Amino acid sequence: MEVLWAATGDLTAREVQESLADRELATTTVLTVLGRLERKQLVVRTRDGRAHHYRPTASREDHVAELMNDALDGAPDRGAALARFLGSIPSEERRKLRDLLD
Amino acid sequence: MALAALGLLVLGVVLAEPASRGFSKARWTRRDPVGALLVWQAIGLAGGLSLVGCGVVYGLSPLGDSLPAAVGTLVREWNEGRWPARFDAVHLIAALASVGVGARLLWVLGTMYVRTVRARRRHRDLLDVLATPWPDSPGTRVLDHPQPVAYCLPGRSSRLVVSAGVLEALEPEEVWAVLAHERSHLRERHDLVVLPFVAWGATAPFVRGMECAQVAVAELIEMRADDVAACKSEPHELVGALKTVGGSAPAAALSSFTDALEARIERISSHPRPLPWAARIGVRVCAVALVAVPTVLLLL
Repeated sequence: MEVLWAATGDLTAREVQESLADRELATTTVLTVLGRLERKQLVVRTRDGRAHHYRPTASREDHVAELMNDALDGAPDRGAALARFLGSIPSEERRKLRDLLD
Repeated sequence: MALAALGLLVLGVVLAEPASRGFSKARWTRRDPVGALLVWQAIGLAGGLSLVGCGVVYGLSPLGDSLPAAVGTLVREWNEGRWPARFDAVHLIAALASVGVGARLLWVLGTMYVRTVRARRRHRDLLDVLATPWPDSPGTRVLDHPQPVAYCLPGRSSRLVVSAGVLEALEPEEVWAVLAHERSHLRERHDLVVLPFVAWGATAPFVRGMECAQVAVAELIEMRADDVAACKSEPHELVGALKTVGGSAPAAALSSFTDALEARIERISSHPRPLPWAARIGVRVCAVALVAVPTVLLLL
């Protein structure tokens, strides 16, 4: 994932493997990991002739922002997905909070 | 049986509205959060049983003296290819409406659970790529963000997360207190404790008592987790952590948020005396009795 984030454009599996050459990973390992990341919607794959190109769906910062949003938006109706140190905020208050943040 | 149906209806309405509203204002709950949570679960379960049960009991009342007997009659006559004559339209509609409400509640609970599990899986996938394990405490991950925030991701494969801001702003002992608080949420599955009330709130958002219940239960699980954390560390460390993290949270701009925060800090510092053991047993007996009443009314 770090390699894809560091790259300027799309990478093929081979290019990923080459940039991780010091780890001596097998091609299949790299492909498995990329497949897993694709299933988790962290990378997208595009086909160009015979080669598959991989690209991250969002930058590292965007993903961290998404996590922080989940963590700070104390919505109880977001399904008690998280338990926060500071508890959750009632719905009408949350609307006010959103106005304040915007 | 019609009398039992009336009893269930009254019980259900009382539990859903005045009882929930009144209980959410009770003050003794801060001295026994676990007992209060048990009573809340009993109110939720008994209220649900009563409101769903009253229509079914009324609908089937012409067919027998008790619900099991009436269901028996219905099945027998159905198998003989006859529609019970006494089972008229009014009674049929009452029974179907009740079953509808029950199905709706289960459906909301089910979809909510699925949505929650999905949101958690997404969050966990991202965490596993983005957050680095914290060497000082196994099972804890650090998210690189300056805003101090600490939370846990409940479920079978749970995660404990603190942001880099927390490690920056808090003393190590305070971080331990925060982690003890979060671990207690995970261990006691507080996410499942709140889920039925979130479902009730989503099924009947127009009932004010449901909203009160949801807020009260959310406060109680925090009290419970604070109690566990205060046992495992010094209370003043927990208070310090609450002040630092709470003061810098974006929600600190809200008066209700700071009020709740101050109430929690006040509670940890003054450490209210737990209820005497007789009262604690009484509370638990009440919770069981609350569920027993509609069950008996349903079956008699």
